[in-house]
Amino acid sequence: MTTLTLTTPRRADWLPKYGVYLAIAALIVYNAAFTPYFLTVSNLRIQLIQVAPIIIVALGMALVIGTEGIDLSVGAVMALVAALIPLYLGYGVIAAVIVSLLAGVAVGLINGALVAKVGLQPIVATLALFVGGRGLAVVISDGQLKDIRNADLIYLGSGDLLGIPVLVWTAALAILVVAFTVRRTVFGRRLLAIGGNRPAAELAGLPVQRVLITVYVLCAVLAAIAGLLSVGRIQSSDASSIGLLIELSAITAVVVGGTPLTGGRVRVLGTVAGAVLMQLVIATMIKNNLPPSTTEMVQAAIILVAVYAARERKTR
Amino acid sequence: MTLLEVAGVSKVFPGVRALDDVSFALRPGEVHALVGENGAGKSTLIKVLTGVYRPDAGELRYQGEPVSFATPMDAQRAGISTIYQEVNLIPLMSVAQNLFLGREPRTTLGLVDRARMDREARDILAGYGVTTDVRARLGSLPLGAQQMVALACAVMIDAKVVVMDEPTSSLEPREVETLFGVIQDLHERGIGIIYVSHRMDELYRICDTVTILRDGKLVHTGRLADLERVRLVALMLGREVSDVRREGFTVFSGDHAAADDTPVLRVSGLSSRNRLHDISFGVRPGEVVGLGGLLGAGRSETIKAIAGAYPVDRGEIEVDGAPLRHPTTVKAVAAGIAVQPEDRKAEGIIPGLSIRENIALSILPRMSTFGLVSDAKIDEVVDRFMKRLRIKAAGPHQRVGDLSGGNQQKVLLARLLATGPKVLLLDEPTRGIDVGAKAEVQALIDELAAEGLGVVLVSSDAEELVEGSGRVVVLRDGAVVGVLTGDDVTTESLLATIAEAGA
Amino acid sequence: MKSAHRRVAVAALAATCVLSGCAKSEEEPATTGAGAAPAASQVVQSAAPGAATCTIDQHGGEKIDLKTAKVGFSQSEKEANPFRIAETQSIKDEAAKLGITQLTTANANSQFNKQISDVEQMIDAGVQLLIIAPLNSDGWDSVFAKASAKKIPIVTIDRKINAAACKDYLTFIGSDFAEQGKRAADEMAKALGNKGEVAILLGAPGNNVTTLRTSGFKDQMAKIAPDIKITFEQTGNFSREEGQKVAEQLLQSKPNINGIYGENDEMALGAVTALKGAGKKPGDVKIVSIDGTKGAVQGIVDGWISAVIESNPRFGPLAFSTAGDFFGGKPVGQDIIIADRSYDESNAKSDLASAY
Repeated sequence: MTTLTLTTPRRADWLPKYGVYLAIAALIVYNAAFTPYFLTVSNLRIQLIQVAPIIIVALGMALVIGTEGIDLSVGAVMALVAALIPLYLGYGVIAAVIVSLLAGVAVGLINGALVAKVGLQPIVATLALFVGGRGLAVVISDGQLKDIRNADLIYLGSGDLLGIPVLVWTAALAILVVAFTVRRTVFGRRLLAIGGNRPAAELAGLPVQRVLITVYVLCAVLAAIAGLLSVGRIQSSDASSIGLLIELSAITAVVVGGTPLTGGRVRVLGTVAGAVLMQLVIATMIKNNLPPSTTEMVQAAIILVAVYAARERKTR
Repeated sequence: MTLLEVAGVSKVFPGVRALDDVSFALRPGEVHALVGENGAGKSTLIKVLTGVYRPDAGELRYQGEPVSFATPMDAQRAGISTIYQEVNLIPLMSVAQNLFLGREPRTTLGLVDRARMDREARDILAGYGVTTDVRARLGSLPLGAQQMVALACAVMIDAKVVVMDEPTSSLEPREVETLFGVIQDLHERGIGIIYVSHRMDELYRICDTVTILRDGKLVHTGRLADLERVRLVALMLGREVSDVRREGFTVFSGDHAAADDTPVLRVSGLSSRNRLHDISFGVRPGEVVGLGGLLGAGRSETIKAIAGAYPVDRGEIEVDGAPLRHPTTVKAVAAGIAVQPEDRKAEGIIPGLSIRENIALSILPRMSTFGLVSDAKIDEVVDRFMKRLRIKAAGPHQRVGDLSGGNQQKVLLARLLATGPKVLLLDEPTRGIDVGAKAEVQALIDELAAEGLGVVLVSSDAEELVEGSGRVVVLRDGAVVGVLTGDDVTTESLLATIAEAGA
Repeated sequence: MKSAHRRVAVAALAATCVLSGCAKSEEEPATTGAGAAPAASQVVQSAAPGAATCTIDQHGGEKIDLKTAKVGFSQSEKEANPFRIAETQSIKDEAAKLGITQLTTANANSQFNKQISDVEQMIDAGVQLLIIAPLNSDGWDSVFAKASAKKIPIVTIDRKINAAACKDYLTFIGSDFAEQGKRAADEMAKALGNKGEVAILLGAPGNNVTTLRTSGFKDQMAKIAPDIKITFEQTGNFSREEGQKVAEQLLQSKPNINGIYGENDEMALGAVTALKGAGKKPGDVKIVSIDGTKGAVQGIVDGWISAVIESNPRFGPLAFSTAGDFFGGKPVGQDIIIADRSYDESNAKSDLASAY
């Protein structure tokens, strides 16, 4: 028998898994060397505050993408929330929170029903509210930016709890809940199975429609929370601009984090890292006063690498 | 002179030595059988021959010259065509478009000449016994016809070597005959054919030479006629000839006349659109009822309708005496129906998930408290079924997509059994799996019936259907045209009933 | 799916609540220095002698009475920011004041195709005067062809169209954005005592408002206060949220920054929120911005903003008086540049009510 010394290593398998962490490390090293005041608590704080709403939205997006879907309406949910909050803030912050969550649930139910029951493709189903949701929000808010003076709501968006911003606490909690849901719950496993092979999941007797609807509701509720906190952070509600293009940031975070768009897999920590990476890119560019076009090109390059890496894995 | 040959080829994947110093030679006009259990290295060898993989060691020679194909396209351009087990055409394009993909006839303006393309496609396919609207989407054709289109595609591009991987697995008897006619024709034209199949009858009928692989090693090569069937099976399985003699070729005990119990599944007057008409039959505990008929007779639709995955207009379904009204897949599983679909990859396994997740999929609520999954409970169930079904894998966390066909099927069956079903609906349970796994699956069906389950078995393999079933319900055009019972359950009477019905 | 239905019901209830008006918003705080001061309308900058004018004979068309004329107004962007709201409102108010009953308005929602078709429909409907707030400066040829065939005068406001005045369109009424930038530089230099480091929050990239407000500011700053260094320029896309984000990064990595120039009020207000978040006090970092919205003027009153250069959106009176002059046979200017006011701590409190 001949002895073989040749082996074929699994090419590029590490890239979708660890590439994002590597890129973060590289950026931190670069900034530590070239950006003043980078390795400071105040900087960490600002980056975390800025990335928190994107993380919250991206987590919901990751769940939807895990079912081989996509949700374009997350930005519209934030807009709706921004439009509704000033209307109910007179009853206090609790009312604003409840109304926000209800708006999220309502949008999620519509998206979920269109996808699961009517059978529309997710991109088409959520496009409806992507367009209509923000329009409705602008109508509700009369197209006007409203300043928020409610101290409780401002606390949620701009205040600290035990020295850490409430916004960051909320994002951390959302990460834990979503990670736990994906890994440990019946719902999480079903979600992955449906994303991996929907006809098979159906024949296996899974409540596919219920799971899909729940996924879209979860995603919209997370977006609603992000909207609520953003309003508290910006201290004003502007339905026409809040959450604008956040669906793209969220999808980018998910993809860069190594979750395949083909479903069946959700990388929770990867998604968080994806959002952090994009935030660091933006921060690096701004802090070093580079033109915005450079930022966009670097972001595009990162997305290309991420998509390329995903392709490698698929063909293996 | 040899047409295509490899000498001392090896291929290693992480943890697996898929090919170990294997040599193989194909002469012009030869029909060369390549056999072995799943995991023996057949697929890897084919992929090396067709440029999908590069060997780690060894040499590939084509028409006497050493070659190295960078891509499968290179091999195809050189004249080596492959028809894979799973038809790899484009279901959304028309039959003619698929046939002429990448070499469409052009008009003088350089546009695709549709009329000519359709006309030629019709003529070509007629030669393969396929008469269909060539403008229809390929995906709308029955699997068998799709396979024929794939074959026509492969042969059309001036092939010198045609590789056929389980070509008959989705064909019905008449189509198999057409295929053999085509093979005979290719043989006469001096084209070399590598033929991979698990069906002994076919091999002995059409192949000249045989190469047997086991565990990545070459165990035998030579003229097929000189090799006794039992010897072939023994070489493949690595067992003694005497063992094989004792166990036989199919392992069904053949005795499924059940006790006179009330039926565990009763179907009456089942009708669906234009596909199913007034189908009625019952399955008693411990009974295996076969559904016979040609492709498109409504066998798979019947099974899916019972499982809640195909619309039902009229009719009643009863499981263990309890009616199943407006069946949905959720209700069906809850009522004790477990279905193994025909298309394992598309509707059965979830390739990206682990063995463990696949097996536990249908019983998650039982494996959890307040929606939280208990890994300990799952491990216990998974461990039990992996042992019982002898699932060969690196461990319960291996991706199902990376397993061999036979082991994928076992994982799927494990999922069904884990639900503790009363009725098993099996649609082609042994398609595309190796001899060893096939025997195990057949034995398992026997065993399950003996334990009191009601089994509905669909199989295009007449022998399997007859030997496995205690009773066979024959379908044609979505209606029951005959029921074989007792001594009547024979291949001859099955074929006679189908033929009669078809007349 | 029962629970799903129940959830739908709850959501529907909430929706009814919105419609039936059980909403309750925050109570407005008493505005400082309130009083129903009249909104400041625009004033024309003294025109340079010999500036080109246009008469009805040069342009073509008939003398008509503005009161009975059919007038069309095409707005470019959604009325989502104070500038657009005030602009549209001003046109409507002035029309009502003059007794013009046949005013049609349309909003293109930032879609240029829609704006073109809006205007074409107005022409087809027989309007006799068009007031357009153009979304783009180019691509108006088809509209001009249709309008000139019917000799309909077009008054463009706030943005200029690249075409011939008195021929393709009658006149342009708007601000001088570069001048606004210059005046902002003057205010900034004054606030900083002619030395320090300044950051610019740029508007949307590729927009001529951004370009002019930037060049005007930089040129003037180089001229009057060479000791002021502009060390940071990043876009905040005219939005409060992005202005806040960029300002947060800025304050963290350049803690010595002395002044922030916001190319609109929204970004400046975002910067104010960022300053609060960074623990700064009013006046620690001087802010100058352009637009003159209520929020920003209130910011001056509160001490966060040093000065605001107005970009007056109240085009109604000037647009209609220009059109009235034109139809009455008087010559009108081809380029009517309006005099923008400015707010600082001396007048912010008293003029707050006249901010938009």
